[in-house]
Amino acid sequence: MLHRFAALALASLPLAGLFAFGAGAQEVRITEGRADSSFEIAGQTFTIARIQDSEHQISGEFARTSRVCPPFCIQPAIAARGVPTIGELEVIDFLENKAANATGLLLDTRLPEWFVGGSIPGAVNVPFATLEATNPYRQDILLALGATGGEGELDFTNARELVLFANGPWDDQAARAVRNLLDAGYPAEKLSYYRGGMQDWLVLGLSVTSAVAGQ
Amino acid sequence: MIRAVFVLFSVALVLCAFIVVRPFSDRTVQADLIPSVPVEAQVTRAAAPADPVAVDAASDASSTAAVLASIAQPAPAGQLNTDESSMQEMTSGVLASLGIAATDPQDSALRDQTALALAGIRQATGQDTGDLTPQNALQSLVTQALREGQSDDYIDMLVNEAARAGDVSVPEILVTADGRVDTFVLLNAIVTQAGVAAGEPAPLAPETAGGEGVEVRVVQRVDDTAQYRFYTIGPGDSLGAIAVKFYGDISYFEAIYDANRAILSSPDMLHVGQRLVIPDLG
Repeated sequence: MLHRFAALALASLPLAGLFAFGAGAQEVRITEGRADSSFEIAGQTFTIARIQDSEHQISGEFARTSRVCPPFCIQPAIAARGVPTIGELEVIDFLENKAANATGLLLDTRLPEWFVGGSIPGAVNVPFATLEATNPYRQDILLALGATGGEGELDFTNARELVLFANGPWDDQAARAVRNLLDAGYPAEKLSYYRGGMQDWLVLGLSVTSAVAGQ
Repeated sequence: MIRAVFVLFSVALVLCAFIVVRPFSDRTVQADLIPSVPVEAQVTRAAAPADPVAVDAASDASSTAAVLASIAQPAPAGQLNTDESSMQEMTSGVLASLGIAATDPQDSALRDQTALALAGIRQATGQDTGDLTPQNALQSLVTQALREGQSDDYIDMLVNEAARAGDVSVPEILVTADGRVDTFVLLNAIVTQAGVAAGEPAPLAPETAGGEGVEVRVVQRVDDTAQYRFYTIGPGDSLGAIAVKFYGDISYFEAIYDANRAILSSPDMLHVGQRLVIPDLG
């Protein structure tokens, strides 16, 4: 059994080398078929790639394992009924297609200081609290997201598709934002939840907007 | 020589135009979500017209108000930008912004976060940046003016001007029969609500609403005697003002509106001389 694995690993080595060579020596790719992702949102170009140092390790805030719960509790896989949970490739795909052609937006639901400290390229900061019913300005946000109409009767037909994320599996902010949006009438089929959030994004060495402490 | 004089003259003209227009551009900037100066604590009951600060400001403001007045010609009803937003929401918004009735100490943080979020969304979606929806623009305008301790007259001019220009949208019940925005009722509602928030009792209905335009008729039927009140609309009346006059609270406007659907097509379409039935809420 062990032999078989070893043989497989050995056999795949030259193959991997070939791929790396063909792609201009980029060894740490997003998937086998692609090295990086480039897209444009409202005239601004973003690029997502992975850290090329194959020995790189996470340090600092996102290296912590044992935050106190509550409030930093492990999140369920599903944030709300009808809202799919997605991974990194789907997030990148969403940015390249939906966000780039102005039908979708990637929302970072954390507090502004976290967003400024480093986020996913192309993300927009909409803290979960601003989507709560208690925020007297919530309607402004919903209208900016493409809802139409007035008081109490918003029409979400042309509202953008949204992907929401926060710090990751130990952070409930994104799930709360999803539920707040649903409460406000946002259709579940226009929402997706990236549960991995910044934590998983950083673990995979994917690009962030500015230096995250310890990255 | 003549050319030089002409150039100088046009420069002076542009300068004058700039000076005249500037107060308004200031206003637009101030009508932003983010408070320019953290003066939350300073305004407590400055909203009350009787406050000495407000009275002091009145003398300063009267000239500005006069300038505005000369520009603002009364427009016929229906030209104002109105909406069906509730007064309650509008006044709560103002009070929350002033830090008076804020239920949540994090309220101002929330406001800043919202402003940032809006800026971000608008940038990413290529929408106009900075503009609030007309409803919240009214809230910001009034909040800012109250913070500055402006006089009621000044706020009246300001709101009317902005409503006519389409920069803000006002609740329908604040539109008077002569097509203005009834800022007296607006400010009154804010002060009343601030009082309630501070633990003062809610205002009682006035004992007897008398005076001009009020008419009381006693109709005797076989089984009971009913008393009907009527009110003839005057030039400065809004539905909100009439509600305050008879019931002491603006929120009763709906009772009046419902009782007069036959002659009122919309809460902002009052006409001078119309006779409204004032229902007895008892």
